[in-house]
Amino acid sequence: MSRLFSFCLPVLLWLSPAAAQATTFKIATIAPDGTTWMKEMHNGADIIKQRTGGRVQFRFFPGGVMGNDKSVLRKIRVGQLQGGAVTAGGLMDIAPNTQIYTLPLLFRSLDEVDYVRQHMDSKILKYILGQGFVSFGLSEGGFAYLMSNRPLTSTDELKGQKVWAPEGDRISRAAFESLGISPIPLPLSDVLTGLQTGLIDTVATSYTGAIALQWYTQVKYVTEMPLMYIYGTMIIDRNAFEKLDAADQAVVSEVMGGVFKKLNAESRNNNAEAYDALRKQGITFVQPSTDERQVWEASINKAMQQLADEGVFSPDLLKTLRGYLADYRRQHGN
Amino acid sequence: MLVCILSAMVAGCAGMLTQTLPKNLSKAILNQDDPEIVRTGAPAYLLLLDGLIEGEPKNPALLTTAADLYGAYATVFVDDPERARHLTSKALDYARSAVCIDHPELCTKKELPYQTFIDVLKTTDKADVPQLYSLGAAWANWVQTHSDDWQALADVAKIEAVMERVAQLDKGYQHGRAYLYLGIFDTRLPPAMGGKPEEGRAYFEKAITLSKGQDLIDKVEFARRYARLVYDKKLHDSLLKEVLAANPAVEGLTLSNVLAQQQARQLLATSNEYFGE
Repeated sequence: MSRLFSFCLPVLLWLSPAAAQATTFKIATIAPDGTTWMKEMHNGADIIKQRTGGRVQFRFFPGGVMGNDKSVLRKIRVGQLQGGAVTAGGLMDIAPNTQIYTLPLLFRSLDEVDYVRQHMDSKILKYILGQGFVSFGLSEGGFAYLMSNRPLTSTDELKGQKVWAPEGDRISRAAFESLGISPIPLPLSDVLTGLQTGLIDTVATSYTGAIALQWYTQVKYVTEMPLMYIYGTMIIDRNAFEKLDAADQAVVSEVMGGVFKKLNAESRNNNAEAYDALRKQGITFVQPSTDERQVWEASINKAMQQLADEGVFSPDLLKTLRGYLADYRRQHGN
Repeated sequence: MLVCILSAMVAGCAGMLTQTLPKNLSKAILNQDDPEIVRTGAPAYLLLLDGLIEGEPKNPALLTTAADLYGAYATVFVDDPERARHLTSKALDYARSAVCIDHPELCTKKELPYQTFIDVLKTTDKADVPQLYSLGAAWANWVQTHSDDWQALADVAKIEAVMERVAQLDKGYQHGRAYLYLGIFDTRLPPAMGGKPEEGRAYFEKAITLSKGQDLIDKVEFARRYARLVYDKKLHDSLLKEVLAANPAVEGLTLSNVLAQQQARQLLATSNEYFGE
């Protein structure tokens, strides 16, 4: 039997030269196995494998086994991985301009997001490419909202709170500081414990995030004012990707582009459902007055402009984005 | 007179039926070593339970038995997702009715806010454990069949609280199964997202100790949830090999153990693919 096997093996290899030249992209993410992201990316990988005759394959490392976004990017740099599915925040170090969509109080509605993304997504993808990575599309994570043990509708109310900011997130910190608040930096992994122990009492996350991470169990109020837009994407090292022949590159771009389009749409539905679920769980939604909102916007916009002037992200790109926002608001009378 | 005797006999018989039959039949199911017999035979028994509950809608033993078996049947033997969702909902209704008898505040139609729910749970005592455990298990089965539903996902924290309460009140109940659930909950998320795999591991180990290693599903879930999450192939494979080497025939656990061995075989078969070897 084993002889038969050893005889067969070279023949099989000879019969399938494509398999011998197969490229396997190792992609890591903190998204747990079994989530929609993982299911859709696996589906995409299966289709790509089939359409490229096995020349292009993916191997996923879900659930943070390769560490958080920062470690994943480090492992890409040293060639241990070829890519990662990461949040926009995770791209800060390699492509700071990707943060432009996530600036606090930038968007007032998802309609504004759609208008701006329709004009600017291609610019962001091109910019990421220029930084040495290929992305096939951005997937919405939804708006993050302030969630707390008290109703927060004014900066004065916020000032007495112990507010969480993601560790190392310069933009969130600057935004809160502009409102006169010193946020408490913690890694994502410590937020639930922080809420349970009272180290922090105010967080910002999406509706789906509040449920999936169980933060909703420790808060009573949501301030229904979009605080910041969250998104994620899959990136692959450009050099590794461009080693594929042009036809295979096109297949990967088309299929993974479709995957991210689908994830983008699903996320919006999920957040709408999660919103209803939070209401049913007895969470109260409060809103700041228009005047109060303007106070927050003015302070934070100033702080963001300052970061742009310091070169944290491109002032020109921010200007372009604000231009589209102004267009939208003019067209829609607000 | 004859009518009187007959009705007395029937009443007496029915009373006996609701006391001993569910227990004995449950036992027969749980000790069955051929899952196919249960797959085809259980529906008749579930119908019988429905009938008995019609007659005694406030019998906690009947309600919890029905909740346990409807939930297990739906998640193990029903392939049609729509039917599984329907049957786990029915199981959850039975479990809620059982809890309702002594703790109506735990089964209100309106969702209780999480903190209120926790406060109410604190009023339960050891006598409530069978109903609480059935509620937690039926609820978990319900969530499993509604995993795309954010309302269901929002309930996970409450189910976790129910199982924590069971473990607190009677740690050895059902071979320490509450710890198995707690292990599964703590390994749901990677550490980077706030998951606590090491605490999960301790729960799995506690469940194994409490069942003296006889409840094989403990090791299967330990491998599936913890070892796969932390990428420990050695632990994964050795746990599953232990499951396959064990004798599944254990009073009250035979069916579950035979099913656990089936799952262990499937997990082992995909081990190399998952761990990339």
